[in-house]
Amino acid sequence: MQQCNRSQKIAICTVGLPARGKTYISRKLNRYFNWLGYKSRVFINGNYRREICGTECNSQFFDPQNEEAQKARSDCAKMALQDLIQFLQNGGDVGILDGTNITKERRHQIENDLKSSFNGIQTLWIESICNDSKVIQNNIRLTKINNPDYCNVNPEQATIDFLNRIKMYEQIYQTITDDENLSYIKTMNVGADIIVHQVYGFLLSKIVSFIMNLHTYPRPIYLSRHGESQYNVDDRVGGDSDLSELGEMYAEKLADFFYSEFPTKEIKNQIIFFTSTMRRAVHTSDVVAQKLEIQPLQLKTLDEINVGICDGMTYTEIAQKFPNDFQERKINKLGYRYPRGESYLDLISRIEPVIFEIERSRQPVMIIAHQAILRCLYAYFHQNEIPEVPTLDIPLHCVIKLTPAAYFCDEKRVLINPQTGEISIKEEYVQEFVRSKSKQKSFIDL
Amino acid sequence: MQQYKKTQYKLILVLVGLPARGKTHISYKLNRYLNWIGYKSEIFSIKGAQQKDDKLDQIIDYELEIDPENQQIVEVRQKLSFQAAQQLVTFLQTEGDIALYNGLTNTKCDRQKLKSFFKEQLQLEFQVFWIESICDDPQVIVNNINESKQSRFKDKTIEQFMNHINVISQDYQTLENIENLSYIKLINIGKQVKVHMLEGYLCSKIVSFLLNLHANNRQIYLVRSCQTEYHILDKIGGDPELSAMGKQHSQQLGDYFIEELKGNKNITFFTSQMKRGIQTADIVGEKLGIIALKTKNLDEIDYGICDGLTVKEIAAKYPKQIKERKANPLEFKYPRGESFLDVIHRVEPIIYEIERSRDPVLIIAHVAVLKCLYAYYHCNQISEIPNIEIPINCVIKLVPIPYHCLESRVIIK
Repeated sequence: MQQCNRSQKIAICTVGLPARGKTYISRKLNRYFNWLGYKSRVFINGNYRREICGTECNSQFFDPQNEEAQKARSDCAKMALQDLIQFLQNGGDVGILDGTNITKERRHQIENDLKSSFNGIQTLWIESICNDSKVIQNNIRLTKINNPDYCNVNPEQATIDFLNRIKMYEQIYQTITDDENLSYIKTMNVGADIIVHQVYGFLLSKIVSFIMNLHTYPRPIYLSRHGESQYNVDDRVGGDSDLSELGEMYAEKLADFFYSEFPTKEIKNQIIFFTSTMRRAVHTSDVVAQKLEIQPLQLKTLDEINVGICDGMTYTEIAQKFPNDFQERKINKLGYRYPRGESYLDLISRIEPVIFEIERSRQPVMIIAHQAILRCLYAYFHQNEIPEVPTLDIPLHCVIKLTPAAYFCDEKRVLINPQTGEISIKEEYVQEFVRSKSKQKSFIDL
Repeated sequence: MQQYKKTQYKLILVLVGLPARGKTHISYKLNRYLNWIGYKSEIFSIKGAQQKDDKLDQIIDYELEIDPENQQIVEVRQKLSFQAAQQLVTFLQTEGDIALYNGLTNTKCDRQKLKSFFKEQLQLEFQVFWIESICDDPQVIVNNINESKQSRFKDKTIEQFMNHINVISQDYQTLENIENLSYIKLINIGKQVKVHMLEGYLCSKIVSFLLNLHANNRQIYLVRSCQTEYHILDKIGGDPELSAMGKQHSQQLGDYFIEELKGNKNITFFTSQMKRGIQTADIVGEKLGIIALKTKNLDEIDYGICDGLTVKEIAAKYPKQIKERKANPLEFKYPRGESFLDVIHRVEPIIYEIERSRDPVLIIAHVAVLKCLYAYYHCNQISEIPNIEIPINCVIKLVPIPYHCLESRVIIK
């Protein structure tokens, strides 16, 4: 539901020591906003610094006493802010400034610059505080070792240098206080404690809920379509048909696959299992549920896209009966709405609560649903652009396993032959992708 | 997210805070919301326990009355607080999903005792979430006292209230992390919020809900879209346009609102994405100089296979469905369509929007959808929804006030 008054711009600024998850939060928020239909972008202070000052900076560069370095860093930060302001002035809706911003002075300056550039801009400050050394070490390992700053350094040395860098920041760190009169959210120790101060407005309230539920548990998300249905065989759209014989076989093999994925009873009981209310999905889910001895939750929100008056027709019949609509859909598959039905954009809006639920969950998530729905879910977590959604490949008889890793998702596709039960696997790892990207000097946008 | 489904574990929401901090108001609103989305929820308070106990003198208010000399009143209070906790346990063990507790919870000791009590007495899995309301803004406190006076304590003066509060404050201990409780602190009605150890789907939802509450008494207008061809032909569903008469009525509606809203352009204005909703809203909006936000969430209930048929045709073609609907109108789902429960779920984000808005709210939608919205403010049980009357060409004005909702209906001729 896009209720944002488009003329009101939003600027979000992060605050916190290095390795506190600021970039993670920025990226997640950015993804969420773009998904909801807002034009959003992240401006990373660190990237500007790398472009301009180079990536060979060791921790001494971050010494607050090092005046020359301080000036250089301050200039880079100003550039990032300027680009953000320009972005908002040229049609952007939400600008996210990802930086440490740990002094009152810096924050005051940014707040003033933003408020003077726009009438009625909403600013939100998100401070991430963490005292748990295990979490910090883990963050460093996952995200800093592959950072361009350390591409010529071995991991142990990189960690030591990075910890020194953090110490430099700690010397001048000032947490946000109420007298700064900022709208802020403080999240402590990955969401164990959250403080929300003076946050009003539709979008900002949504952000609060979103952040309250963020976590870094690498829980896997399994997406699968129902088994082949009668309508699939007849090549018809819509309807509420049941599984074909092949589809039933798939359901059995799918149940076997999940049975081996979740070996213990304890793990099984914690699975979050969603399906739709349509016969073909319910039937598939019931077979799986019986084998695993768990109960799926049937959500109408996961029902397949409503094809309105075209319900029950084949594509050939649609082309004959509604040639104009057929053409329109070819040109704009994303926005085209079936008469009395839905468009992909409607779908994206419809499944938002489910996305929220998945984000929130710290346990494995299993979803058995339909092609259009899964295209949307997959696109969100795999970080595809919205225009790509209608053409993503989500084949029948295939389980897609997404595992969050750093800022992205590892993907594994398990194609199951419904007749033989034979499995073929295709995997795509994030770490390799990130490493290959970081070899390039520019790291501005991933 | 599932309507009418039992929770996996029971949930107890405990309220903490001095008098005149809005605890009763919060518990009332939360209880209403939770019942509306399909859970069986009830409030257990000292006042409630007092009312259930016939042997007690009902004139003294044991919740508020504190005379440090009067040991007897203190004892009765403690007894009632304990009784409320017992009633709560019985409720959860039998039929309840969620219980709200408004008793003696202002000291660390009381809270630990309560926690142990629940642990011993409840023979099933449960979670406790603590909700503390803190207020140091004197104006807000005075406002709250005035509201309370109007509804509950008509014979007390503000001074007496302040005196009572001062006595209770002396032993008051705010929630602290060391107590190892999962909580939310609402400070000055949402100006600042602190959350500690938030866990679980329901608690997350409750926190989101609480973040949007405020104390402004603003009006909510619910109106149906105006007459269409389908009305004339007695057909249901479809996506027809307004008839000529319908357009005329929309104009009159616009005129009514010009007078009612007195030039205020800060209105939260929603309509559906159905032609009749959009057309009515466009006409009204033009008169007022505002534009409605069109959301699919407000679309009429999906009549599935019955869409576009007249009532007679449905009775002839699908007699079995008619019977089913008569038997259980709330849960009945039109084949390939929706039930009222689906509509409630669909309309929930709109409720958040209405709650959040401090400006007047104007919603132009359709019968079934409006029934669900209306029920949120007025009904105690969602089973009443199918029987609610939402006539056409009628503006329903709701003004929620603490513990209650004022309503007035105006027929537009």
